[in-house]
Amino acid sequence: MDELELLKKDWKKAETGYKNLTDLEIYPMLHKKSSSIIKTLFYISIAEFVFWILVNTLPYFLSDSYREKLDASYENPLFVGLSLLSFGVIILFIYLLYNSYKSISITDNAKRLMESILRTRKVIKYYVIFNLVMIFISIPLSLYFEFNQNPEFHDQVASMNSTQMLVLYAITIVMTGVIILIFWLFYRLIYGILLRRLNRNYVELKKLEV
Amino acid sequence: MNKELEHRFVEQLQQHQNIIHKVCRLYTNNADAHNDLFQEITIQLWRAFPKFRGDSKFSTWMYRVGLNTAITLYRKSKRRINTQEFDSVQFKIKAEEYDDTEEEQLKLLYNAIHQLNDIEKALVFLYLEDKDYREISETLGITEVNARVKMNRVKKKLRTILNP
Repeated sequence: MDELELLKKDWKKAETGYKNLTDLEIYPMLHKKSSSIIKTLFYISIAEFVFWILVNTLPYFLSDSYREKLDASYENPLFVGLSLLSFGVIILFIYLLYNSYKSISITDNAKRLMESILRTRKVIKYYVIFNLVMIFISIPLSLYFEFNQNPEFHDQVASMNSTQMLVLYAITIVMTGVIILIFWLFYRLIYGILLRRLNRNYVELKKLEV
Repeated sequence: MNKELEHRFVEQLQQHQNIIHKVCRLYTNNADAHNDLFQEITIQLWRAFPKFRGDSKFSTWMYRVGLNTAITLYRKSKRRINTQEFDSVQFKIKAEEYDDTEEEQLKLLYNAIHQLNDIEKALVFLYLEDKDYREISETLGITEVNARVKMNRVKKKLRTILNP
């Protein structure tokens, strides 16, 4: 007999051998905590929002001098614009994230389910990229403001020769790059671990289409 | 109202619980992991149950949610013991002492299935459950032609693992 036919025969035979859980055993299961990746993804995205909101607001409440500087900078339309933009973006992302979570349905076919989870992850990814870009913009910007508003710093920079200026630029760029790289690697790690299996299975399904 | 829903759900689940056991059998390789996955599939079924309208059979619906949980949503819990090493050792021994008895052949077959990837396991599962290609393609989200092609490849792969 063919191996697979043998297997099928045995599979059918095993039908009676499985543990038969009683309803008393099943009831408590309904109220146990799920350990699905959607739930983890959801928690991560909440943590993401909280983290970035804290990063953006905490220094304001914790440091008096920073608050003064920031309050002063609000006279600058560029700063007001950037703040309004981040605020709008947060609202937009919360809306997008809510929508994509809603679109995840366990009763979809496997491929569509994977796609909606990956789409949700993408929304979070774009949010992170947005924040990284904001860091990238704000570091040189704050240096520029420091230069304009802090006479001491202004004098220091003004008295620099071209080599020292070059070093200052280089340090700024490298530091910004390092910060962004660290964040990026961190996210790659979190989502990489969480979605590794899903990605693998999705690729496997996609491969069938070519 | 909620109690009644719960009651209806548990009653149907209990009746068709073998479907979940069978998914667990293919996707896990020890009792702890089996129970863990069973638990997770039950949770997902229960959550989706209010939206179950009965336009498909409860069992058909269970196949889909069960496989989706195993392939996509399930994260191995910390409780799970990794028996991968143990399994491959076992497989080697068995391959060497290959015996033509049915029993031995079946053990080899199940070991071979455990070596397949998640999607391939899903295909084997649906094949063993006598699902037609239309249902297979609808469950996985691939075309019927591709389901057929992939199924043949999986069968071939299984035979290769068995007769290297």
